[in-house]
Amino acid sequence: MPERRRAPSRTSERLGRMLTIVPYLVRHEGTTLDEAASLFGVAPEQLRKDLELLFMSGLPPYGPGDLIDVWIDDDGSVSIAMADHFARPLRLTRQEALAVYLRGTELLATPGVPEAPALASALEKLRASLGDDTLGDVGGIEAASRGAAPALLEEVRAASAGRRRLRIGYVAASSGERTERLIEPEEVFSGLGRWYVAAWDLEADGERLFRIDRIRSAEATGETFEPRGLAGAGRPLYSPTDDDVEVRLRLRPGARWVAEYYATTDEREVEDGAIEVTLPSRRLVWVARLLLRVGTDAVVLEPAELRDLVRDEAVATLARYGT
Amino acid sequence: MGEASAPRDRMEPLERLLNLVGLLLESRTPLTFDEIRGTLDAYQTDNLESAKRMFERDKDVLREYGVPLRMEDTDAWGTEQGYVIRKDEYYLPEISFTPEEITALFVASQSGREETAVEQGVRKLVFGADGGVLAGKAGGPLVAGSDAPGTAVLAAADAAQQRRRIRFGYRTAQGTEAERDVDAWGVVFRGGHWYLVGHDRGRDEVRAFRMSRVITLFADGGEGSEPPEGFRARDHVEAGPWDVHGGERASIAFDPEVAWLARDGFAEARDDGVLDDGRVVVSVPFADEGILAAAVLQYGADAEVLEPAAVRDEVVRRLHEVVDA
Repeated sequence: MPERRRAPSRTSERLGRMLTIVPYLVRHEGTTLDEAASLFGVAPEQLRKDLELLFMSGLPPYGPGDLIDVWIDDDGSVSIAMADHFARPLRLTRQEALAVYLRGTELLATPGVPEAPALASALEKLRASLGDDTLGDVGGIEAASRGAAPALLEEVRAASAGRRRLRIGYVAASSGERTERLIEPEEVFSGLGRWYVAAWDLEADGERLFRIDRIRSAEATGETFEPRGLAGAGRPLYSPTDDDVEVRLRLRPGARWVAEYYATTDEREVEDGAIEVTLPSRRLVWVARLLLRVGTDAVVLEPAELRDLVRDEAVATLARYGT
Repeated sequence: MGEASAPRDRMEPLERLLNLVGLLLESRTPLTFDEIRGTLDAYQTDNLESAKRMFERDKDVLREYGVPLRMEDTDAWGTEQGYVIRKDEYYLPEISFTPEEITALFVASQSGREETAVEQGVRKLVFGADGGVLAGKAGGPLVAGSDAPGTAVLAAADAAQQRRRIRFGYRTAQGTEAERDVDAWGVVFRGGHWYLVGHDRGRDEVRAFRMSRVITLFADGGEGSEPPEGFRARDHVEAGPWDVHGGERASIAFDPEVAWLARDGFAEARDDGVLDDGRVVVSVPFADEGILAAAVLQYGADAEVLEPAAVRDEVVRRLHEVVDA
């Protein structure tokens, strides 16, 4: 899991950090410098520098007995005294409280988040304690959960946590075609309402993203693996490969949603509210079926063979209806 | 620690700010700039103007970080004003969290888009962690964020809470751009997207707006209105192209290989028997024939609408359109 980017150490951020970390260290005696640094997302050396400044601050008249005392023991544990005025953190601002509540709501709307019950009770405490004057009335902030978690989510998550290889039966969305694959499941995450696993596909010898609701069977092989550091949440949900066919489409207003739902590129506005986009795709059959759904609001610019494919699909489907 | 102290003539801004916060928190009366300067030697530079400028900058930094710095009369006659930080406004009230709860908050702050407000908020809350934080709290982002910037969602939630009337540019799914004039009532997170729900004054209807299609900042248009009794924002989130949800039901025959996909893909779908040729019949609710027809068409020849006839006809009509195009 890659480290999150650390914020630059501007004075206001250092101040904010001190007003947050010092109360924590006062209350949670015996916390080590490293623990605190990791908890508050700051480099241990930076935290040490900040704490060195802390012990030169205090209250009037700033005599030796009025300054904050800071010790860092040999084992790294930090003790702070004479800091009664910093014994509690600053309130959350309205922005912060609302941002935490909204983020929590996002997670609660995602079926299959194991932390959901604890998160719900944490948000409830936040509401009860800060609601009146900081957070405001949260009655209008709603999560509409969509469906249930995929059946095999727990199995895949456990295999990922235990770094165990899985043999999975995976079904392609458009064709229903089922394949067996041997994967190293690294990161399980949810994106735009679906659960995914970023994995190494041993047979394809490459990185693949699998939608967990399309995994129909999963069996641990008994082997473990070393993670390669594949990216989880926040990655593009479609990673183009060299095998991709570049499909160029013109989307009339009624089909513009295609550009919102899929990882299209090179978007260009053309006349009458239409756009032209490139949709990189591994399987033309899948695009053909997408185009059946979109109908005449989408026009295939290239490749020409896709036009034939769409027509073939349409004819085959009409045959179902006896026409 | 406790090695050599920094030379007093080059006091670090952080130290000065910490002293300023402490001074104003502990002072029983509001302090004027002159009084602050008399107490904190960091402001005792030879040049009064530069000291004042330094103090102004420091005030900005404190406010930027949300320190509730107030100006109040220093005496009952209101002749002079001074600065004060009131403890009840400054200190976080007691909220204690179980290790599971604080860990869940951490997971939340690590999920989604990186957002300073969320991270800072959660860090303040960690103070109340009873029994510490569970190991593995940095387990990585679990959920990719919504496709709208957090600041925009925050502004929408804020407007809804304050019952504000707001104006903004919006692009519909069809690509039409127009200015909207809306009394904000609520926000809903659904299927990975945030929606703002409110009364659209131009259309005189309750509408849901997907935040990722809001193309301008919100302009405040003054006081809005109260939603009707029993209003639930999520009831108004429009069906996207994936959602065919509605009151009537249709029967669709799927090839067995794709039937499970269809069951997952349609909300409230249920099995409704098997045909002689092995195809699985799935019953799905729908509201709009066109939307359902489109949704079924993505399965190509692997799906056939059995009834109602209106949807069946719509599928056939669309297929002919494609063939004739």
